[in-house]
Amino acid sequence: MPALAAEPSDADIVRAAAAGDRRAFEKLYRLHVDKVYGAVLRLAGFDHARAEDFVQESFVRAWQKLDTFRHDSSFGTWIYRLAVNTALMAIRARNADPVSIVDDEHLPDAADNPFCPAERDELERAIAALPPRARAVLVLHDVEGWKHEEIGNELGMAVGSSKAQLHRARSLLKRALGDTP
Amino acid sequence: MNEFEHLRQMRSLRTPVAPSRDLWAGIDERLDETPATRSRHLWTRRLAVAAAIFGVAIFSGSIALRLASPPESTNVASNTRWKPDDPRLTGAAVELATAHSELTQAMQDAPDSPALRRILDRTQRQQERLRQLDRQAG
Repeated sequence: MPALAAEPSDADIVRAAAAGDRRAFEKLYRLHVDKVYGAVLRLAGFDHARAEDFVQESFVRAWQKLDTFRHDSSFGTWIYRLAVNTALMAIRARNADPVSIVDDEHLPDAADNPFCPAERDELERAIAALPPRARAVLVLHDVEGWKHEEIGNELGMAVGSSKAQLHRARSLLKRALGDTP
Repeated sequence: MNEFEHLRQMRSLRTPVAPSRDLWAGIDERLDETPATRSRHLWTRRLAVAAAIFGVAIFSGSIALRLASPPESTNVASNTRWKPDDPRLTGAAVELATAHSELTQAMQDAPDSPALRRILDRTQRQQERLRQLDRQAG
């Protein structure tokens, strides 16, 4: 019986895509879109329309920059970082606009949004209601597992500011979930 | 809720999420705007690398010419792995071999480029010249 042809590796697909093979790039998209979408969705405060924009922008940028991909990390890690960076750029831009900053008093009131640890939706809603910058730090640190140094680099802030933002975000989250007096 | 419990909940959010619709069509459309730019970028970069290497090769070749006596006409086949016996010519030989290799790669991407063809021909002539000089020096 003839041996079955081996499936091309991620690296092979990336090389084909970098050489201009659109089908190979689509394959990469299909392989990695869920992880990328999940990450930017959390950063976008579970706003699906914005997350879709971020994903599209990220893959277009990836296509443009594929020739700079050096295979030092996996393509999945590379596109994940690129997508997170795309979302953070939007957050940074938004942060410059005072109108878009959500103040503490705009957070959902605990009485209106009772905390229930078993309900993921409640937690997501509370995270979504955080100010964009605080939410970004909270998501990157507590959900994605980034270090403060990495967050500071990506968001253009000092390590101390990242820690302060995390503290603030956690406090706001607890308050929104009715977990703090 | 303590910090451990908080982190446990937060980490549980770290899951892949499928978009509610297929986003590929929108991405595919936008890729149409970029491939020309990308290939031009690649092409420009490779040409720049080849030109830089060619410049170094010319410089090295001129040094080699000064070191050696006037050439005799000999017919030597092109061979990029060739190493001269005269150590004074080694640097130039390496540079020319690298230039030859880069240009050959670039020619694979743009086989119809007259500019690349000219540079490659010149590089090969330089390599032949270097071999002649090496024979004379030896």
